[in-house]
Amino acid sequence: MPPVAPAEDLAKRYGLESVPESVRRLGLLVSKPDASTEEVAKLISSDKGFTARLLRAANPRAASEEDYSCTTVEDALQRTGMGIVLLVAMYDPLMAAVQKTFQIMLGAELKIEAHPLPFEHEHVLCEIGFVGKATGTAALRLTTPTALQVAARVLGMSPAELEDPAVVDDVIGELSNMVVGNFKSNLCDANLNCKLSPPAITRTTKFELRSAEGTLAQRLGLRAPDLDLFVDLNVNPWSE
Amino acid sequence: MSLKILSVDDSKTIRMIVKRTFAPFDATILEACNGEEGLAAAAAEKPDLIVLDITMPVMDGVTMLTKLKENADLKGIPVIMLTAESGRENVAFIAKLGVRDYLVKPFKDEQLIEKVNRVILLQKKAA
Repeated sequence: MPPVAPAEDLAKRYGLESVPESVRRLGLLVSKPDASTEEVAKLISSDKGFTARLLRAANPRAASEEDYSCTTVEDALQRTGMGIVLLVAMYDPLMAAVQKTFQIMLGAELKIEAHPLPFEHEHVLCEIGFVGKATGTAALRLTTPTALQVAARVLGMSPAELEDPAVVDDVIGELSNMVVGNFKSNLCDANLNCKLSPPAITRTTKFELRSAEGTLAQRLGLRAPDLDLFVDLNVNPWSE
Repeated sequence: MSLKILSVDDSKTIRMIVKRTFAPFDATILEACNGEEGLAAAAAEKPDLIVLDITMPVMDGVTMLTKLKENADLKGIPVIMLTAESGRENVAFIAKLGVRDYLVKPFKDEQLIEKVNRVILLQKKAA
């Protein structure tokens, strides 16, 4: 058998994307569990986008930045601890995976909604669990018309041709697999090795974002023409 | 003679996309929804190429690839991985088993055609 090149050379040979900056940052945070607040704050403050997302997560009830009671990274760390930092650091690659998957498979440019409207009717929920050094659940929530539209575009059909709900479910399950598979690969590259459970697809009217005891959760709403969805991440940052 | 491409994936969606992708070419697409079925189809049909997923029920793609490479009659069939798994350590592990190429989901049809065409020469169907 021919000798095998190092992982990065193989990645180049196969045309794989380089490990994103957000994943390197997550790896750095994970590798320093005993880092001081100052060290972590310095790492976070060098990235304005990450800082903004951390402050948003640390002020969950604020409607806008003017309402923030926690206004600096140090404040956020003092008040919430490393858990929120890890949650936000993990959420970044998940969101990137969702946007990339929808862009490549449907040609849809999903944008983050600042104030998304909650789903009031039955919608499609696809949940995939991950267990290991990182433990939690990632979920995609789509309105029923969005799920139909997504399936039709992925398969190159019209929504009217998709009479079988099982086909719609299969497409949503596979897209979720792509999203969470990429996310899981990112976690592994950040030394948070874990395994995935198969996707579970249900139709539900329950919309609230629940955090089980010891876990943290984050949700963002995304939108593109004809498409409305939410991405939930529920993690136990102290699973190991 | 038409080329034979075996798509091994538990997702009907992916198998449909693979079929659609190669519809313009003179290629027959065979389908299997797990590694066990994939091995049986490979032995029965001797495809020119296998497009293989990793995470599948019954038998995963890594196990199927291992068994394929252990079989003297089948080990020469080129395999392209088509999977959402892109973690560097896992890619390196799978490469050691012997794959011709690796494509990460999500993917565009053209990427799959390009990678397959590097291994077997696809011909457009006659008009």
